[in-house]
Amino acid sequence: MNTPARTKRRPGLLMDIPVLDYREALELQHSLVDARHAGRLDRDVFILLEHPPVFTLGRRGGLENLTVPEEMLRRRGIPVVPIERGGNITYHGPGQAVGYPIVHLPSAGWKVVSFVEALEEIMIRTAADFGVSARRDGRNRGVWVNGKKLGSIGIAVRHGVSFHGFALNAVVDLEPFGWVNPCGLAGVEMTSLARETGKTLDMKAVRRSVLHHTAHVLGLDLQPVNRKP
Amino acid sequence: MKEIHELILAEDVRYTEDHEWARLEGDQVVVGISDFAQDQLGEIVYVELPQVGDSFDKGEEFGSVESVKAVSELYMPVAGEVVAVNEELEGAPDLVNKDPYGAGWMIRIKPEDPAQMDELLDKNAYLEHLKGMES
Repeated sequence: MNTPARTKRRPGLLMDIPVLDYREALELQHSLVDARHAGRLDRDVFILLEHPPVFTLGRRGGLENLTVPEEMLRRRGIPVVPIERGGNITYHGPGQAVGYPIVHLPSAGWKVVSFVEALEEIMIRTAADFGVSARRDGRNRGVWVNGKKLGSIGIAVRHGVSFHGFALNAVVDLEPFGWVNPCGLAGVEMTSLARETGKTLDMKAVRRSVLHHTAHVLGLDLQPVNRKP
Repeated sequence: MKEIHELILAEDVRYTEDHEWARLEGDQVVVGISDFAQDQLGEIVYVELPQVGDSFDKGEEFGSVESVKAVSELYMPVAGEVVAVNEELEGAPDLVNKDPYGAGWMIRIKPEDPAQMDELLDKNAYLEHLKGMES
């Protein structure tokens, strides 16, 4: 992995949010990206949260990969939100650890592709903490366990500042993934840490593990802040 | 990632701090991204470009490039109307990686005010900008 030299961790801010609506989280990211770009925010931010059930579409669409009628999602109150990240359609829901790093890539020395790999590394190390051996797949991004997808990636870069990020299936209900071809890949089966271990997992422990590895892999000394400073 | 001294920095273009380049050709301006930008992004898999006839302000987003699982926005070096887009990139987005200042060009515009070209960075100023980012 082509990572920047890390002699000393850079200061960063942590927003540790239990559950946040997808669109609110997107607004929060946009405002942080703008502040980081304008210099009003002098350090990187990591947001850790879970979303209520939602489907999101990547910049190149993905509605064609929805395999159930949109009406069914409407009845269940699950929104479909088009967004600007890379990748295709995906599902988010409670029990999925979602990380959004707002990082000014050039000043931290990150190349985009290395940064994507670093986000995969965070998920791989977290999975290992729970005894699950996850790996990369040369052809498809994200992290995988025996051909099943455990975690997804999709970032966007605005004026050198990253947003969007990764989603690790911890104890999330996997059924809604069956309503789409996740990430535009037909026949991809999703899995979770709970399914792979066959155990009841404590989501708080998963979130702690994600934070630990994020700080290490991204070289950030994360200080918690209140959500609306 | 290339070291700064390994980067190809074309002499006949002007640069933005966001790593686009602009080349004056007659009364039109051709726009692409720099060797630094393509190297930073890695393998480009998709380039989203505007329609001919669209107009944008200087600094406004005109499109995006997608490398694997990452979308990066593109910004107008100068204000103007799009008169052509590089349709080759639809089938061969990697031209941006292979030849960023040539076959990997993105859009051709009719500038609103050609004098805006003078506000962009020349090669040396861009090089200083790149060096400054690493500190």
